[in-house]
Amino acid sequence: MTSAPSPSSDPIVVSDVVKRFSDVTALDHVTLSVARGETFGLIGPNGSGKTTLIRLLLGLGRPTEGRIAVLGHAMPNRQVAPHIGYMTQSSALYNELSIRENLKFFGTLYGLRGKRLKERITATLELVDLTARADSPIQTLSGGMRQRVSLGCALIHEPELIFLDEPTVGIDPELRVTFWDYFGQLNQRGVTLIVSTHNLDEAIRCHRLGLLRFGKLLAADTPAAIRQQSGKDDFEQAFLYFSQRAEQVKHVEQAEREA
Amino acid sequence: MSFIRVMSLAGRIVRQFVRDRRTLALLFLAPLLVMTLLQIVLNSSDSSVTLAIVPPSGPLGAAIASNIKLPDSISIKTITADQAEPGLKNGDYDGVLIFPGDFLAQVQQGQRPELELRLEGSNPTVARQLSGIVTLLIHSIATAQPSAQQAALTPTLTTTYLYGGPQFTQTDAFAPLLIGVFSFFFVFLLTSVAFLRERSQGTIERLLVAPLTRTELVLGYVFGFTLFALAQSAVILLYVIFVLRVHYVGNPFVIFLVTALLTIGGVNLGIFISAFARNELQIVQFIPLVIVPQILLGGLFFPVKTLPVVLYQLAHVMPLTYANFALQDVMLKGFGASDIVGDLIFLVGFALVMVLLAAFSLRQEKV
Repeated sequence: MTSAPSPSSDPIVVSDVVKRFSDVTALDHVTLSVARGETFGLIGPNGSGKTTLIRLLLGLGRPTEGRIAVLGHAMPNRQVAPHIGYMTQSSALYNELSIRENLKFFGTLYGLRGKRLKERITATLELVDLTARADSPIQTLSGGMRQRVSLGCALIHEPELIFLDEPTVGIDPELRVTFWDYFGQLNQRGVTLIVSTHNLDEAIRCHRLGLLRFGKLLAADTPAAIRQQSGKDDFEQAFLYFSQRAEQVKHVEQAEREA
Repeated sequence: MSFIRVMSLAGRIVRQFVRDRRTLALLFLAPLLVMTLLQIVLNSSDSSVTLAIVPPSGPLGAAIASNIKLPDSISIKTITADQAEPGLKNGDYDGVLIFPGDFLAQVQQGQRPELELRLEGSNPTVARQLSGIVTLLIHSIATAQPSAQQAALTPTLTTTYLYGGPQFTQTDAFAPLLIGVFSFFFVFLLTSVAFLRERSQGTIERLLVAPLTRTELVLGYVFGFTLFALAQSAVILLYVIFVLRVHYVGNPFVIFLVTALLTIGGVNLGIFISAFARNELQIVQFIPLVIVPQILLGGLFFPVKTLPVVLYQLAHVMPLTYANFALQDVMLKGFGASDIVGDLIFLVGFALVMVLLAAFSLRQEKV
């Protein structure tokens, strides 16, 4: 795969991407771009293709059709790896090791060394408010604490593009606010965030939302525009509106083809 | 390729194990327990024992040799003096009874002839059996003599050993085999479970997304686990030498070399097999397939050369068989690395194939 920079300066450019697994079409002609410093929310029911899209963006797999460019490189490409952070859906940590050891391990993988590594560990521990528990093994922590460590591991190397798979599941409201304030600060520094979520309070805080259903991107717009277009106040209703409209479009297209 | 990343991965694996006391206990104490039990229990006998005889010169000498009667379980072979030593080394026979060439002349001149029993010695049970039978044979000659005068002419017997010695026990012969079996088995089991956890906990996703190449991932695992396997071999070795008082003659570095090669194969086999298992129980289900045949056929319970043809050939594609040959040769016979080149080449080849399979299974992970 070549790694020629794409013409667009957007950190994420998805052009007409299809991903098929033996008999399932997980992504169906998805086109999307995300701007630098933006927080883009992916919402959709389980099995809608969110995880598949994120995996392709991370370089864990190849699209069946179409092109994906991340940070100017056609994916999959290992060169972008050092600039990407990934917070997995489950906490995905080494349970026998302490918080500090987990941070240190992932920091080292991303090339942090010596003094810089120590500084980053200290700063990250403070951010996720776990300085006091730094040397506790993961297996002694609560679910919310693990989620915080998991976020810390995704941020330790100060990536410019971060994927967060349901980041605030199991986190209390107070810390959730802290997280989102921090996400805002990251945006200001030009860091791009892709957040997959079920949580509608969280969706509102994204700059733009992508609505995925059956592998199709039904809409990609600001939360306000989505509400306005659908004429619905809450996203569940808006979601239904867009999926019904998609069905209608399909029927119209079918009718046109048949005519 | 970054050495620091590889070592960071290896270091993480080591740290995880140090925290996991139960696994550590399993790794280090289980082999010691099994070896101790085996030492107590072991009492095996071998049915196919061959004694070679170098008869006195002349037709009368040959007649003497052919008149020697031994129990049916021992077969007799008549050879010449210069065949004795190479045949023993080849394993053609387990012992040689050597008559002096002028045996008859010595008897006629009223001298006490000196017989020599040279034993191969690597299987202590066989050595003891032969030694006992030959002593008995000479004793029976003595009591059959008609007069006390002639009884004084009963031959004397000197027993020497190619390997080991009279103090050699069955555990001595077993120790090398067990070192191979334990390092292979535990490393396979621990790697496949550790790697399965990477998958089930989702940390593998983080590793694959990180700027870590598959080579670095495989190497990190190999270093981390090889360290434990070598520590385990060292503990087993020290235990069998100083506590069980097993006799051994080989160079510990060559023993480590064989163990390290076996470990690299085991680690990568573990990574590969873990791709076919969804949980720890399924890993355990692979043991009868992957480990048990190697233990049964690799020489621990039955000598490989006595296996039926099909199993004999099967044993010769199994890494543990070669590790067993190599470890026995080094520990019991004092062979150096240059004497076990064939076994080492097979182990290197096995390790390479396993590394490729592991890398291939990781490649599948990415798509």
